[in-house]
Amino acid sequence: MPEAGELLLQLSQVSKYFGGVRALHEVDLELHRGEVVALVGDNGAGKSTLIKVISGVEHPDSGTIQVRGESVRLETPRAAQSAGIHTVHQDLSLCDNLDAVRNLFLGQEITGGLLRGRPVSRHRMEVEARQVLDSLAVKLRSLTTPVGGLSGGQRQGIAICRALISDPSLVLLDEPTAALGVTQRAEVLDLILRLKAQDRGVLVISHDLKDVQEVADRVVVMRLGSKVAEFGRGDYSSSDLIAAITGAHEAPRTPEGIR
Amino acid sequence: MSTQQIQPPTAAPAAAPAEAGTPMLSRMVEGLSGRYRSIPVLLVLALIWVYFYSQNSAFLTSGNITTLTLQIVTTAILALGVVFVLLVGEIDLSSAMLSGVCATVTAQLAIKSEWPLWVAILGGVAVGVAFVGAEVLAIIFGVPSLIVTLGGMVILQGLLLVVLPPEFAINVAGTDYAKISSTYIPSGWSLALGAAGWLIFCATRYRTHRERESGTSPLVPVGVPALVSGVVIFGSIAVLSEGPGLPLPVLILVGMLLIAAYFTGRTRYGTHLYAVGGNREAAQRAGIPVSRMVIYSFLVLGVCAAVAGMVEASRLLAVSNSSGGGPLMLNAIAAAVVGGVSLFGGRGTVWAALLGALVIGSINNGVQLLGLSTEVQSFATGGVLILAVAIDVVITRGSLLPNRR
Repeated sequence: MPEAGELLLQLSQVSKYFGGVRALHEVDLELHRGEVVALVGDNGAGKSTLIKVISGVEHPDSGTIQVRGESVRLETPRAAQSAGIHTVHQDLSLCDNLDAVRNLFLGQEITGGLLRGRPVSRHRMEVEARQVLDSLAVKLRSLTTPVGGLSGGQRQGIAICRALISDPSLVLLDEPTAALGVTQRAEVLDLILRLKAQDRGVLVISHDLKDVQEVADRVVVMRLGSKVAEFGRGDYSSSDLIAAITGAHEAPRTPEGIR
Repeated sequence: MSTQQIQPPTAAPAAAPAEAGTPMLSRMVEGLSGRYRSIPVLLVLALIWVYFYSQNSAFLTSGNITTLTLQIVTTAILALGVVFVLLVGEIDLSSAMLSGVCATVTAQLAIKSEWPLWVAILGGVAVGVAFVGAEVLAIIFGVPSLIVTLGGMVILQGLLLVVLPPEFAINVAGTDYAKISSTYIPSGWSLALGAAGWLIFCATRYRTHRERESGTSPLVPVGVPALVSGVVIFGSIAVLSEGPGLPLPVLILVGMLLIAAYFTGRTRYGTHLYAVGGNREAAQRAGIPVSRMVIYSFLVLGVCAAVAGMVEASRLLAVSNSSGGGPLMLNAIAAAVVGGVSLFGGRGTVWAALLGALVIGSINNGVQLLGLSTEVQSFATGGVLILAVAIDVVITRGSLLPNRR
């Protein structure tokens, strides 16, 4: 397959156990610049654990993570962020009591001098927030309304715009199209392609195989904590995907899809 | 937790007239839960004042208002600390007892050991910060703050007896310590301070407006707040100056409130504080040091408790085994909640401490002025507290009907 760009993220032999439960088993994963990789699998296949490992929420029990060729230990979400990895979680991780601007810049506020107690530059944040929201056509009645009062689509829009504020090189999206209407789903897929056009790496978890086929350059299939198949764009069909996800062809133990 | 949304009361039965009035109502609820949260509190305060004034015109004399401000200062300072703890979604029950212990330590150092007053004050504050620091360690290890501070309160009751001398009281009358509460700022100085504060407020307000480059006239966004704050500042100074002047404790309270308002409202520290209270997991994922924010909040509470205890001791001219006891703790929590700080964390401003303390203090003061029995005082305070929390629940849920999320 065409190697798109610089190798951004490389996981090798990553395993994670919760007590006796094997959540991840020797998973290898590569992600390049300007590439959209979809992560699919049934419930409990280990997709969320993998995302948590990459975003610094959980630590792998064994295996190594390399970002841009350098071995890193992602101890905290902040460490992952400073390594250029930004995660949009499925529950959006918005603070309902804060307004859109504060949510967008949460943890990375633009501030003034240390002497004045690092006051936030509300005006500059509002200007930037408007730009980011406009670029993705997220319409908000007011930037000062607490986001708890906004619609699901608007909240999703804010959550995804948050990924762009820190200008990350790698964006993880956990079920970005779940619970969205038709128009908003198309907008989100458009955003994913936009992220790709900006030469970022995108890792998408999705249950929606139609979405996956639409945007993904590569599809990684997980089952029971292991990576069971990987397909390049165009060399698979929906039934290949479903077979790999459900393990229907598992008897020979070497599905055609594995290269 | 974060995925649930506040549904505006749409065309539902009884919530509102189902016509065009609904978006208006939902906008109003939205405003009341956010920026204009203090308006209902101010209305309640105005009602209370009008009622007591109509019953006894002595209620709104400058003499009684000076008394009222001195009565509420302790509650308000303690409530300010409680606000910080409530904002991060924790609770505290031990700070009133802690204020008694800190005041006693300061009295011991200043009067028995004859240390300079400011060293003694620093000693008292250090004790407050140290004790709260020990409590918050247990809290960030996962013990519920309700339990930790309940236990802390009991420990402090014992500690108070340890730090008191065998006669269980220290008289501070006639010492420098007592002067904290009996000092009044001459009206010239308080006017100058008020004017300086007002000018700084107006200037920052105008600068923010100009920064926006919206091209609109500064009349409404700058003029209205300037007018309101001017009336409040100069009005209160004028009223207090008719009596003996601006009491030093009030100046301490206002100073603490202004610093707190700046840090919670204008700095990233404040945003993080609200984020931790609003959605702790989201704050964690955004890279906010959640435990550290909880620790900061409790340390602020420790300082507030120490200052409140000293002001109270110098007002009552003594520390004793009843210092920090009585209804002080519950009044402070009630003040914070009545003023509009949510018990569920993340909602409300530091001004709630002042407003809530004014509401509760006015009830107590008015009931005493009318010569009513203390039962009435308890009934009224309790009723107002429950009403305030009910309003808080309705506002955060966005509906008057139960079980509508």
